[in-house]
Amino acid sequence: MHNVPSIYGMNLLEKSMLGIIPETVIIIFAFIVLFLTFFGNLAKGKNSYYLSLIGIGFSILYVLMLSGKNIYGFYGSVVFNSFEVFLFIAILFSGLFTVLMSKDYMENSGMPAPEYYSLILFGISAMMFLVSSNNLIMIFLAIEFMSISAYILTGYIKGNTRSTEAALKYFILGAFASAFLLFGSVFIYASTGHLNLYDIHSFLGNISYAGLINKSGGIGIKIYISVGLVLFLVGLAFKMSLFPFHSWTPDAYDGAPTPITSFMATGIKIAAFAIFLRIYSLIYNFNIMNFNDILWLLAVFSMTFGNIAAILSSNIKRLLAYSSIAQAGYILIGVIGGGLYGYSGTLFYLLSYVFTTAGAFAVVVIFENSDLISLDIKRYSGIGYKYPFIAASMSFFLLSFAGIPVTSVFMGKFYVFSSAIKSGYNWLVVIALLNSAFAAFYYIKIIVKMYMPDKEPASSSLNSSSDNLGITHGVIDDGLMITIIICLILTLFMGIFPQIFINFANNSAGSLWRI
Amino acid sequence: MNSYLIVASIIFSIGTLGVIIRKNLIVVFMSLELMFNSANLGFVAVSNHLHLISGDIFVIFVIVVAAAEAAIALGIAITFYREKGTIDIDKANELKN
Repeated sequence: MHNVPSIYGMNLLEKSMLGIIPETVIIIFAFIVLFLTFFGNLAKGKNSYYLSLIGIGFSILYVLMLSGKNIYGFYGSVVFNSFEVFLFIAILFSGLFTVLMSKDYMENSGMPAPEYYSLILFGISAMMFLVSSNNLIMIFLAIEFMSISAYILTGYIKGNTRSTEAALKYFILGAFASAFLLFGSVFIYASTGHLNLYDIHSFLGNISYAGLINKSGGIGIKIYISVGLVLFLVGLAFKMSLFPFHSWTPDAYDGAPTPITSFMATGIKIAAFAIFLRIYSLIYNFNIMNFNDILWLLAVFSMTFGNIAAILSSNIKRLLAYSSIAQAGYILIGVIGGGLYGYSGTLFYLLSYVFTTAGAFAVVVIFENSDLISLDIKRYSGIGYKYPFIAASMSFFLLSFAGIPVTSVFMGKFYVFSSAIKSGYNWLVVIALLNSAFAAFYYIKIIVKMYMPDKEPASSSLNSSSDNLGITHGVIDDGLMITIIICLILTLFMGIFPQIFINFANNSAGSLWRI
Repeated sequence: MNSYLIVASIIFSIGTLGVIIRKNLIVVFMSLELMFNSANLGFVAVSNHLHLISGDIFVIFVIVVAAAEAAIALGIAITFYREKGTIDIDKANELKN
């Protein structure tokens, strides 16, 4: 279908379907993987793993084939243009890394695999639907689809009380957030009478153009839409794990299987930020109320709280969870900065965040799988000498989080902060810079720990004298190695040649306004 | 339409309070359903007031999603009960710093 040169030769349905081919491919593969469970022998091996990889590969191919197209399908419910291309690729990479990390993890834990991989694929497709949705119904459905996959995956470890508890907390708070989002859409619908974002945009544009919004006739609309947008923002802030709505993040990240933690930290956050960018650029800009002030507070509190809590935590997954709350605060600065520059900086930051986070979690998976080193940071001492390559790459990812030059997150921070300065938010950038310096402390603490000689008595909680012998290098799974190497290369590449990626991000962010 | 939205808001607040205050998992899930259904009430009222169909369509989707969520919720609750022997939410206290 993609080879058809002119889009006008197709009927409406074909044209609409063209826009959701990448998602459809993922869903088809998810069903194939799921049906493997009917055939006992096929389900046992690594078939589901390879099928998932093939599905993600096909989807990336289709995204690349469709890039440059501008599709507005299903009566405006689904949009596909360069904004989607950028975020689809980021999400597919996040899913690819999750699948690559999972093989070793699933084999070690002995859990049934096909359902697991198909849930990951369903989650990826839901995130892609969320990014391309342009209608309040689609947004709600995609968020729920994504969250339900994530709830199940979080509680996937059978018989593990921590995993179940994480799923329970994540479910209650996630459903709570969805209810807020839904109730916000009621008020948006009540004030505008539209569900399509472009229609809402033009409705608000007409009203504010006519000067009605601050006059007596418009006051009712103004109150309704303010209430609606604030409730909607609360719902999305839960998914983005911003400060007052972050409480599920450390628990869910801690209890979930580690590859899924990486999936939640990268994929869900990207998708939530993407839809927030779209809605913010379309609706929040009107002179309804000053949303930038609310976001300012959210960003400052997220950064500060995330960093302080990360310093106090001793579990590596909780530390990365708190650090992801802080990173969400930094990313939000790009949204506050606004304009083409701020939005493209946000997109760049999101992409760099994917590679850095996935790489760091891949290292955590390696150490978790080896069974010798627990998630406690104290147990990391001395691994710099035993596994030089892995420890060096972990150090690189942590330095990237801290925002040291030559890494991708440094460039992301640079673009995001400079956009905020351009818009006059100087104090925000000062606070963010102080926070980054503060955050470097705990990232570097881990690196120092890794390169310190192992002084602790090996006997304390974990058994054994074999503790210090360590695993042999051949044991490390190739999927994990591939993940780490891709993440390393791209983190470095985005840090040294950011121009290529920022041009791509500029092009994508520009298409947000192309209605 | 205003009075319907006020009723919906009151129901939504009751649901919110229920999720925050109650300790029994099943009651928490009921409160979540209450929140979803208050939004449904709002959608139906608005769409009737504005003579539009899109709100009603939204409600049907919400009902489907709420059913799916209830299935997941009860699954998680059963697993939790098997592991802890209780459905008191305060017993979910293993994940700490």
